[in-house]
Amino acid sequence: MDNTNTTDYIACPDCDGLYTTPETPEGDRIVCPRCSAHLLTRRPGFVSHATALVIAAALFFLLANVFPFMSMKSDYRESEMLLAGSVAGLEKQGFTLLASMVGVFVLAAPILVMGTLLYVLIPLLQGQRRRWALHFCRAMQEAKQWNMMEVYLLGVLVSLLKLEKLATLNLGPAFWAFVGFILCLASAITITDPAELWRELKEAQQ
Amino acid sequence: MTFDPASAAARGLARCHSCGRVEAVETRHCPVCEAPLHLRKPASLERTIALTIGAVLLYFPANLLPVLFIKSSVKGDSQNTILSGVVQFWNDGDYPVALIIFTASVLIPILKVLAIIALCLAVRSGSSPQAMTRLYRLTEYVGRWSMVDVFVVAILVAMVQLGSVLQIDPGPGALAFAGVVILTMLAARSFDPRLIWDAAAASAATPADDNRETRGADSAAQPPLHA
Repeated sequence: MDNTNTTDYIACPDCDGLYTTPETPEGDRIVCPRCSAHLLTRRPGFVSHATALVIAAALFFLLANVFPFMSMKSDYRESEMLLAGSVAGLEKQGFTLLASMVGVFVLAAPILVMGTLLYVLIPLLQGQRRRWALHFCRAMQEAKQWNMMEVYLLGVLVSLLKLEKLATLNLGPAFWAFVGFILCLASAITITDPAELWRELKEAQQ
Repeated sequence: MTFDPASAAARGLARCHSCGRVEAVETRHCPVCEAPLHLRKPASLERTIALTIGAVLLYFPANLLPVLFIKSSVKGDSQNTILSGVVQFWNDGDYPVALIIFTASVLIPILKVLAIIALCLAVRSGSSPQAMTRLYRLTEYVGRWSMVDVFVVAILVAMVQLGSVLQIDPGPGALAFAGVVILTMLAARSFDPRLIWDAAAASAATPADDNRETRGADSAAQPPLHA
């Protein structure tokens, strides 16, 4: 036991079952035989695929913030909202605590995840590792759990139905860009298995 | 503390909570990502229980206080609590939306608290670890969706600022509700499902069985995984 290398082992995050790291073919999903938790997915070439998706996500995100997100037309007035508008609107009316919560869940957390992936993956294409890569990656592990973009999307749809009786609502181009952003970032996160990313980072030179 | 003999912890190995690397716990810090190593999440049960109590207490103001104030020159002023919002959708015939909001805002928080209580009890009894682990994963996944009502409030407030004609402001209930969601998410996150497996292993070993440590070590030598 003592002379075996610990990298030969993987442990299940949910039941702590200990296994020797299997030699698996590409793309295989390895599942804990005791509690069926997901242990590892081998995806060779995930770095380049994920990089492409994150760059696409970043472009969508840019568009989602520049164009109007939603617009409302009533008999009296017309109003428009940007993606950040729901945060700014709360802040402007003095609901700072609520504004910062929404800001963290729909802006800060996804930006941190996207930023980290960009910062880490692009140098990894050349086998390089930037100085703060490890710190950012750990922060990203946390941020992933608080990223609630898809919940916000459901909130947008519910708000539309709620306002339907009061005014005519239109989804702006930023809404569709936001949908693209969610899809691209979510797939980038899915194909980047944390264990595989850390392994690549460990092998990369600083 | 006794560990499940098939577990990494029984051999003094800790799985890094951040990067998943398995390393001897004496190393203290993960050699890959430098996160501190623990065999089990520290003070898991205590934190989970404390956060759950906080969530239950906040649940009352979250449901009793209004989440929205609507000032309208046409229809007069009104206010919405979470439940009255659901009722309104239901009465308007928007049954799917009413069901979505009811599930996300009423059902999920209650079920989540019950699930966390069941998980904490399972740590004592060690019963059905497979099913409980599945319940834990579901609890962790589903919690975020409760935030939808808070986002709806934020969007409505930002959109509907038509001066004296129609204005929507957030109520204190929205803040309390966001608090409930955050606390239950933190409670689920601080819970360590591996404790259930430890308890299950401890209760499986009979008290008369003196050799359970050594036997455990043998059965821990597991075959390599095949996908």
